[in-house]
Amino acid sequence: MVYTDSNEGGHPKLDTGPDDNELLARVRRGDRGAYAELVRRHAPMAMRTAALLGAGGEAEDMVQEAFVKAYAALDRFRPGAPFRPWLLRIVANETRNLHRASGRRAARERRSWELAERLLLTPAEDPVEVALSLERREALVRALAMLSPAHRQVVTCRYLLDLDEVESAAVLGWPRGTVKSRLHRALARLREVLDADPQQAPAREAAHDD
Amino acid sequence: MTEHDVDDIARDLIALGRTVDVPAPGPGLAAAVLDRLPEAPSAPAVTARARRRRIVVAVAVAVGLLALLATPPVRAAVSDWFGFGGVRVERGGNEAPASDVAPPGVPPSLSLTEAAATVDFPVSAPDALGDPDGVEVSDDRRMVSMSWDTDEEGVLRLDEFDATLDFSVVKVAPDVQHATVNGTDALWFDEPHEVALLEPDGTRVTHSARLAGHTLIWMTDGVTLRLEGDIEQHRAEEIAESAVAVD
Repeated sequence: MVYTDSNEGGHPKLDTGPDDNELLARVRRGDRGAYAELVRRHAPMAMRTAALLGAGGEAEDMVQEAFVKAYAALDRFRPGAPFRPWLLRIVANETRNLHRASGRRAARERRSWELAERLLLTPAEDPVEVALSLERREALVRALAMLSPAHRQVVTCRYLLDLDEVESAAVLGWPRGTVKSRLHRALARLREVLDADPQQAPAREAAHDD
Repeated sequence: MTEHDVDDIARDLIALGRTVDVPAPGPGLAAAVLDRLPEAPSAPAVTARARRRRIVVAVAVAVGLLALLATPPVRAAVSDWFGFGGVRVERGGNEAPASDVAPPGVPPSLSLTEAAATVDFPVSAPDALGDPDGVEVSDDRRMVSMSWDTDEEGVLRLDEFDATLDFSVVKVAPDVQHATVNGTDALWFDEPHEVALLEPDGTRVTHSARLAGHTLIWMTDGVTLRLEGDIEQHRAEEIAESAVAVD
């Protein structure tokens, strides 16, 4: 079977493509090893998704649960569709349900953000990564904290997880138009907050220049 | 004056995401997943079929019980009906046009929170659709309705009412299919069909009858939810499964 992935926007899709569909066809024929291969291939991104959506220390449990549920729901998966966003959608739902015990929606969303915020403020100890100053990182996280939960979710999918718009729509279960419009409003809000942040470098430099 | 460019913000957010220290999945993850999969390779399809069979039985039992316990005003033209969480489903032919029928949008009058405070049952809303464009409560406070005007799926409408009431809604449909939402029984109406509201005494509310398109009906926490719009069953189930309680 030949399956060509439309390579939207020219981004190389390193972990999706023809092989996912071949593996899924083998899984449907009863090859459990093929499913193990899919797990190994997609687990790192699934972990990032769970963690950035606020799974905290439960990220791996969420991912395990999502893979088990995805297998049970394979008869609802449209053959030929991309596997990754479909899987991440299940991961996102599992993560959302994780904080059910925290009570009402607002409390659950607060809990998710607290855990994601902690993660975002702790950079990986990689000396090669100097793209972002600690000051800038903290300002971005402060600005993210000011967003509504829906705006934060769309920013998390599209930028923090670096998914494209179509994938973000699939993961969040929103129409693509909703992803576009919320992303637009979220970025406008982030700019507003960052412009008003007194600790932000660009604002301070501008003040010097005056 | 703007100090920040949204493109810079987007670029820095991507950099922020990349430098986050997410733990790698443990080496035993794939094995742990395989351990939990059902033995038979074709198990997913089999269990889904078995589940559907169980639902047919459950609905048949419900019809039997209702026939014994209730003495509703059965309309002469209807050969057979059953109740499902306050919805009375009458099987009947209809000459509805085959084209898709868009549900009526709800005018914006209340916020979700205000609507939830007005009625005596817990109101929920699907995360998958975000904030509705319109929310209203019926005059008798028995029903909350909301709608979304989406770019790709047109108008989606959700009605919610107390499932323990005798019957609030009647639907006359040639066919009804079984569905599941969060593992519990649900009903899927694929064909255009007639829907009308009922008074507490079982008579139809005049002027309320209209044609409805694809509809999913399910129950959560003693509340019946009815989602209608130009969507397929799996999408309706997805939206239904994203419903969370409104504060």
